[in-house]
Amino acid sequence: MNHSATVHASAWSRLRFRVLALALGAMLVAVLPLLFTTRYSTNLLILGAAMGIGTLGLVVVLGYAGQISLAQAAFYGIGAYAAALGTTHWGINWWVAVVLGLVAAAVAGGILGTATLKLGGHYLAMTTICFQVIFTLIATNWITFTGGPDGISNIKRPPFFIPLNSVQRYAWFALAALYLVAGLVWWLRDTDLGRAMRAIRENELAAEALGINTPRIKVIAFTLSAVLGALGGTIYASGYLYISPDSFNFDHAVLFLAMALVGGTESFLGAILGASLLTFLPEWLRDLKKIYLVIYGCVIILVIVFMPEGLWGYVKLLGRRFARRRLLPPAERPLQVGRGVAGEEILYVVGLVKRFGGLVAVDKVDLVVRRGEIHALIGPNGSGKTTYINLLSGLYAPTSGSIRFLGKDVAGLRPSRIASSGMARSFQNLRLFRELTVWENVLVGAKRAGGNETETKGRALAAIEFAGLSDKAYEICRSLPYGHQKLVELARAIAGEPELLLLDEPGAGLNQTEKQELIRLLRRLNEMGLTIVIVEHDMSLVSRVAATATVLNFGKKIAEGTIDEVLRHPAVVEAYLGNREVALGV
Amino acid sequence: MAENLSMNGQLVFAGLAIGSVYALVALGFVMIFRATNVVNFAQGEFSMLGAYFLVALWQGLKLDYFAAIALALLLMVGIGLLFEITVYYPLRNRTFLPVIIATIGASIMFQNGALAIFGSSPEKVRPVIETVGGTGGVTVAGVFFDYQYLIILAVAVLLVGLQYLFFEYTLLGKKMQATSQDKDMARLLGIPVVYMIALTFIYSSLLGGLSGMLVAPIFFVTHKMGATLGLKAFAATICGGFGDVRGAIVGGLALGVIESFGSAYISAVYKDAFSFLVLIVILLVRPQGIFGEKVSEKA
Amino acid sequence: MFEIRDVHVAYGAVMALRGISLEVNEKEIVCLLGANGAGKSTTLRTVSGLLHPLRGEVLLGGQPIHRLSAEAIAKRGISQVPEGRRVFPGLTVRENMILGTSNRSGVRREEMEADMAKLFEIFPDLERLKHAHGWTLSGGQQQMLAIARGLMARPHILLMDEPSLGLAPILVQEVFRVIKDINATGAMTILLVEQNATMALAISHRGYVMETGRIVLQGPAKDLLQNLQVRDAYLGGGKRML
Repeated sequence: MNHSATVHASAWSRLRFRVLALALGAMLVAVLPLLFTTRYSTNLLILGAAMGIGTLGLVVVLGYAGQISLAQAAFYGIGAYAAALGTTHWGINWWVAVVLGLVAAAVAGGILGTATLKLGGHYLAMTTICFQVIFTLIATNWITFTGGPDGISNIKRPPFFIPLNSVQRYAWFALAALYLVAGLVWWLRDTDLGRAMRAIRENELAAEALGINTPRIKVIAFTLSAVLGALGGTIYASGYLYISPDSFNFDHAVLFLAMALVGGTESFLGAILGASLLTFLPEWLRDLKKIYLVIYGCVIILVIVFMPEGLWGYVKLLGRRFARRRLLPPAERPLQVGRGVAGEEILYVVGLVKRFGGLVAVDKVDLVVRRGEIHALIGPNGSGKTTYINLLSGLYAPTSGSIRFLGKDVAGLRPSRIASSGMARSFQNLRLFRELTVWENVLVGAKRAGGNETETKGRALAAIEFAGLSDKAYEICRSLPYGHQKLVELARAIAGEPELLLLDEPGAGLNQTEKQELIRLLRRLNEMGLTIVIVEHDMSLVSRVAATATVLNFGKKIAEGTIDEVLRHPAVVEAYLGNREVALGV
Repeated sequence: MAENLSMNGQLVFAGLAIGSVYALVALGFVMIFRATNVVNFAQGEFSMLGAYFLVALWQGLKLDYFAAIALALLLMVGIGLLFEITVYYPLRNRTFLPVIIATIGASIMFQNGALAIFGSSPEKVRPVIETVGGTGGVTVAGVFFDYQYLIILAVAVLLVGLQYLFFEYTLLGKKMQATSQDKDMARLLGIPVVYMIALTFIYSSLLGGLSGMLVAPIFFVTHKMGATLGLKAFAATICGGFGDVRGAIVGGLALGVIESFGSAYISAVYKDAFSFLVLIVILLVRPQGIFGEKVSEKA
Repeated sequence: MFEIRDVHVAYGAVMALRGISLEVNEKEIVCLLGANGAGKSTTLRTVSGLLHPLRGEVLLGGQPIHRLSAEAIAKRGISQVPEGRRVFPGLTVRENMILGTSNRSGVRREEMEADMAKLFEIFPDLERLKHAHGWTLSGGQQQMLAIARGLMARPHILLMDEPSLGLAPILVQEVFRVIKDINATGAMTILLVEQNATMALAISHRGYVMETGRIVLQGPAKDLLQNLQVRDAYLGGGKRML
């Protein structure tokens, strides 16, 4: 079978798989309520579906974007109270009440997300907990508004063309809602937005350097999870027809988290699995009711320690062994890096200074780079090279000095904006999105240049082919050997067809063969018109790739010129090897 | 006027006393964080366990009150060790998120274990100084100084003082400080880092347990008592400056006093919300807290 | 008395050391040179027990130590002055030095004070800064403290990782003077990792040069000082064949 046919066959089988999965899901939705015969068990089914929707919200914010939220029960509560108050005290249409709830949750989620962006980690956890706790306090104590601990009863069901007046019918409604939300979350994963979220989770700094506006995406993730939480709460309220603040407290926020973790945060199936398991488990262990909760806490710890990707994650891991190898279609057009007039000044840096407290890491270093050049930045350990690259790409803001890139001032701009204007970079310590595939990494890189899906895919295909990674495109980066990982980072950087490529020690950790290949690729990129600035320690690599170099020592420029001139310059020799007289005088 | 003064004095005193409890729990929390970078969501549960051990030994086994306290503290040493071995050690190289979640899991286990063993009805413990008709106290300048509150303050001051002396003037204290400042360098010097960390967990567990036993006579002992205590202590450390020892103490005391005044003058019903409202304000305005330093990431 | 035999070490996904062998005899200063990324620091980290080799052995006095923990290796008398100094910032100079004795058990107060007094003779600045906290010291002062702390352990062999890093040239001279001195008068055996090859070779007896995880050159320091190949290992240029 020729390559093209194999590619089409594998794409077709993936489509078939998806259609099959959708059909199976629809079948389950249709059949399940028929299998649950008692009112009590059907109610549980409804609860499971509602919690499932809420857990899907956590899949978005935690599984995809990697941000912890311990407020999901509060958003669930907002949705529930909106439906409850709407249909009882305020007497408005169910659908209107639901929309109100979703909007309220979205606003709260947006504010919460925006406020806690710069903080990460435990600060974020704490803020979401605060929100959750305050919500519970208000729900319990603002009796005139929420009914207090007595809750709200006689909630109405949604008006539908078929009246949902039986538990079984409502179960269909709830399951259908779950189905739709699950499909949405599944679809989201492979969109640009979903990939951007997952990139942030894997390596926020690299995502920012590839043009992703990380604060904005994080707020979107938060808001989305809040909306899904509220939707779940609405389904719950209209199912059980009675709510009280007890169902929306911190313990329930933890329960949502537990459901996501046990099932597997990164997939919609994990959420459904976790939600079902932790809804029905207490029933099955009914006789052990008290100990069950102890077991539940124990299970959380065990899952984190032994199965960090949850049950579904574990299943996927096993399934990977039997997965058919997917093939990448051939690129339809070559990479187009570097347009414009050769010799044109694209980077113009004057008097760049960076101070960290009392330490001057970069001391008034100028740099001019013209289109089509490969310019090296060298110097002994600690001379300020990486700091310089970080200043150019926006990771640090300069203390003083100016940076003009393609005629625009970029000093102090956020990295994603500098990246979007045409600058790409690699990192000294390799910042790949390790849990994503090669293809997904490069797609994120390709997105940096904007455009529609076809254009992005075209660039990504060209970049992967250029780097010789076509047959590994669907492998997870974490499992690749080091040399290939470095190639992926290169492909990811050039997939956006940048005007300027900054490379921070691309040769570190490579063996001689791999370095040869790197040299070949860099030379070809330069022939195609790409301008490169390279920081390196391996001088033989540098001399085979770059024509000119700037030498730094203690943050100052000590030499500049062609590679040969520079490597013979006495100040440079002394910077690297030390001063003979000084040494002999010891 | 004099009434106002004495009422405010009362509020300050009560606030400081409860704040001391928050401070002790917060201190335990900060110790673990400094040594291991772990955010321990189960810290509040150490207090709950201490209180329940006291109940079991004093009420259940009818031991002498002070013997019960001593034995309960001994049990807390065991809890600290157990916690380190089963929760911290397996996850010591993972990122912060799994660890937070594991400690949440531990907190759930502790809470529900207590519920399973002791049931849901609240228990009462006698105060340290027993007088007829409950806790007694002295009245000075119109302010009633409850004995238990006085003891809490005294114990807190004593503990903080001892801790200061320990870390400043003993070799072991210096080794523990070194471990939290640079773990690998400590190893290179031959400092048994694993023991240092175990000691830290034991100490934090003791701090938690002791604070639980001290606060038990004031509030009822329930399986839920650790939850709010832990969250407030966490809020206190953030307000004071995350990871800073002074911050934990000052933050705890400050939150106690704010809560005291807030519930008297604004709303008693929303007493628990004050800590969290203050926290939100701090997070928005000065996230590094009172004593904290700004943190930034390097490429 | 100290030997590394055919050691292979992986650092994450990279093969950082690809079979290196070297030896250090008593009372010698041996330097390990090479460009950044050559594997010098990885070698020291393997010797001190922070990393373990996949293959090969590290022997101290003929006894294998490569499977021991870092704490155990410190107790065997291997003391490291790490890259970047790493003095404990919140502890004073005195406290840092006292902690240097952590590798020995049952050290008496008087012994510690006597050792410190001796070191203050070599590092008079440190005596003056006895009660200053680590973070207040300058780079050069921190380097002196790190060395003094390393010596407090009364080690059999002192490992030094890039002592010149980040120091101004005049301070580098001072530091190397001290290193030469501890070896000459104190008979301390030293394995010195450095980027500043000339300086290191000027005070060493023998040297090894590393490149991408392998040793490419070795010999008496005097010979290496004259040897242009050392320069090429750092500044290869077009002369080296890939």
